[in-house]
Amino acid sequence: MPTVFVEKDRCKGCTLCVEICPHGVLEMSKEINAKGYFFPFAAKPDECTGCRNCVMVCPDCAIQVEVKGKVSERPKALAEKQVHYCPGCHHGIIHRLVAEAIDSLGIQEKTVGVAPVGCSVLAYDYFNVDMHEASHGRAPAVATGIKRGRPDLIVFSYQGDGDLASIGMAETVHAANRGEKITVIFVNNAIYGMTGGQMAPTTLPGQVATTCPYGRDVNLAGYPIRMSELLKELKTPAYIARVAVYDAKTIVQAKLAIKKAFDYQVKGVCYSFVEVLSTCPTGWGMTPPDASKWVESNMVPYYPLGEFKNPDKGVVKETER
Amino acid sequence: MAKKLMKGCEAIGEAAIQAGCRHFFGYPITPQNEIPEYMSARLPQVGGMFVQAESEVSASNMLYGAAGAGIRCFTSSSSPGISLMQEGISYIAGAELPVVFVNIMRGGPGLGGILPSQSDYFQSTKGGGHGDYRLLCLAPSTVQEAADLVQEAFDLADKYRNPVMILGDGLIGQMMEPVEFKKVINPEDLPEKPWATTGAKGRKPNVINSLYLDPEDLEKHNWKLVKKYEEMAKNEKRWEVFNLDKKADILFVAYGTVARIIKTAIEVLKEKGVNAALFRPITLFPFPGEALEETAAKCKHVFVSELSTGQMIEDVKYHLGKERKVHFYGRVGGMVMTPEELVEETLKIVK
Ligand SMILES: Cc1ncc(C[n+]2csc(CCOP(=O)(O)OP(=O)(O)O)c2C)c(N)n1
Repeated sequence: MPTVFVEKDRCKGCTLCVEICPHGVLEMSKEINAKGYFFPFAAKPDECTGCRNCVMVCPDCAIQVEVKGKVSERPKALAEKQVHYCPGCHHGIIHRLVAEAIDSLGIQEKTVGVAPVGCSVLAYDYFNVDMHEASHGRAPAVATGIKRGRPDLIVFSYQGDGDLASIGMAETVHAANRGEKITVIFVNNAIYGMTGGQMAPTTLPGQVATTCPYGRDVNLAGYPIRMSELLKELKTPAYIARVAVYDAKTIVQAKLAIKKAFDYQVKGVCYSFVEVLSTCPTGWGMTPPDASKWVESNMVPYYPLGEFKNPDKGVVKETER
Repeated sequence: MAKKLMKGCEAIGEAAIQAGCRHFFGYPITPQNEIPEYMSARLPQVGGMFVQAESEVSASNMLYGAAGAGIRCFTSSSSPGISLMQEGISYIAGAELPVVFVNIMRGGPGLGGILPSQSDYFQSTKGGGHGDYRLLCLAPSTVQEAADLVQEAFDLADKYRNPVMILGDGLIGQMMEPVEFKKVINPEDLPEKPWATTGAKGRKPNVINSLYLDPEDLEKHNWKLVKKYEEMAKNEKRWEVFNLDKKADILFVAYGTVARIIKTAIEVLKEKGVNAALFRPITLFPFPGEALEETAAKCKHVFVSELSTGQMIEDVKYHLGKERKVHFYGRVGGMVMTPEELVEETLKIVK
């Protein structure tokens, strides 16, 4: 019988694991942990099938599941240090997927990550690889410098929407257009998380943020930028995909896409770009489960998921996505 | 290596290659386009990499990345472009990385003009970008010296893990002179950089960073940088004293190509019975203030001339003190003083 282990003092009480469990195994405790959060426990351990959805969704790597004597582990490329993100923020999930891709391709010792300015500014503490902290928006330029200097390295940037699609738009488009053999992980949470929830270039029409308190007015701010669609139009070959991590199915798809993106770089094929729709429960003013649902109900209709371009077929038709 | 007649810009490019530099990231701007053009032709011949960035902002951040990966790299630009590079320069200074920048100055402010100027002295020696940092700043006055200083700049950048700025002007970039490259370094022979992002194989991950969220740590970091600048001040001050034998009627203080014009003026003044000398700072930061003091003590008058409305003169005045009158003659906007103008001004002072 599978066993769920909760490292309770790592937990921030986001309840995403409780929500994702298909069999209602987990419930939140009545006690609080050392951080002051309620944490999950296996209330119905007999119901666990060992699907490990809870492991995948936990942004804090606080849950492991043993199935047939084999315990799930945190990826080697993910540092032991606990991430500082707010409870339920998807950054933690995405970090894990990146680390898993690095592990599965066996490239930890030759990978260099470039951290942005944004909530994930401290990503250099969270990956067990060489890291470079860039200035706001310039991660693709910094990554270009590293990759051109040492082409044998695997170089990825990890950036938010303000970083990548606003201040760093030029660097983003030109790195893609030059076909830099780098991998860009673009975390689109439709808001400026770090600076307190201001409007981003990806904030949805009507969405409230601290610098659009009446909702984004498209007559003044324009429409949110769809970066994957924009980049796919460049003639230079590339791998471009948009994924999300709001439920088990999307997390698995995201995992595949991120691995594929790194793999294209390992094989020296092309520039690769994975946009991950993400949450900002704090900035959006929602509970983590509601924020995850909001991605599905509000973001996905505007930002459709799928593969937009790959080096074999070029631009993927909407009907084939 | 035999002497070769070369344009200043090309000599700067070749000097970098002979210093073992194989990576250039830049963006075109007059009057230094010959440098990126030269590098784009030469680097592929020697297994190097030339990247034309989308902007100077991007170029300086590419250098930030490459230098972080332990790559000997450089860029060149001119005043408006160097302004855009300040972001990268500040991060490079904060993260303590070795990068060589070349500024072939043109007149400003704003788009200004494309002709020679020395109006970026403040920017280069007092900061430029945000934060408490300093660049090691070198000012050549001949093509040969430009080549020598570029070669040296790479070693100095490595030694102090600090950005180095070569401050030239349009004259030095465009003039042709015979030049010889004194060093020939194979990039493979360059010392290892154990702190660089080369892949964490058999060691803990390296991090290149300028962020210190704990104010105590950031304060410590700032004072550590100051220690480094003090070390530079102890070891690296360079200057030239010209035509000073015990005493002089007047001491010119000038750097870069203005110093060359002054050398001609000094010859003319000699015929007119005026004994003039020249003090030429070669390092603008650290500024050779003590040497200037010593030299000025032997001269009756002090006369600063710059292709600016008066920037270096502030350092001169700082070192010579309030008591000492310092005369000034500047031309700006791309206008360059003639030796005759300087002679005329000198005669007004010494009479
Ligand atoms: C040059 C510069 N301008 C502005 C900032 C302030 N700033 C820091 S992070 C940020 C926006 C971050 O938003 P995003 O990239 O969407 O990432 P998130 O925090 O949402 O993950 C801003 C404007 C800065 N650090 N540097």
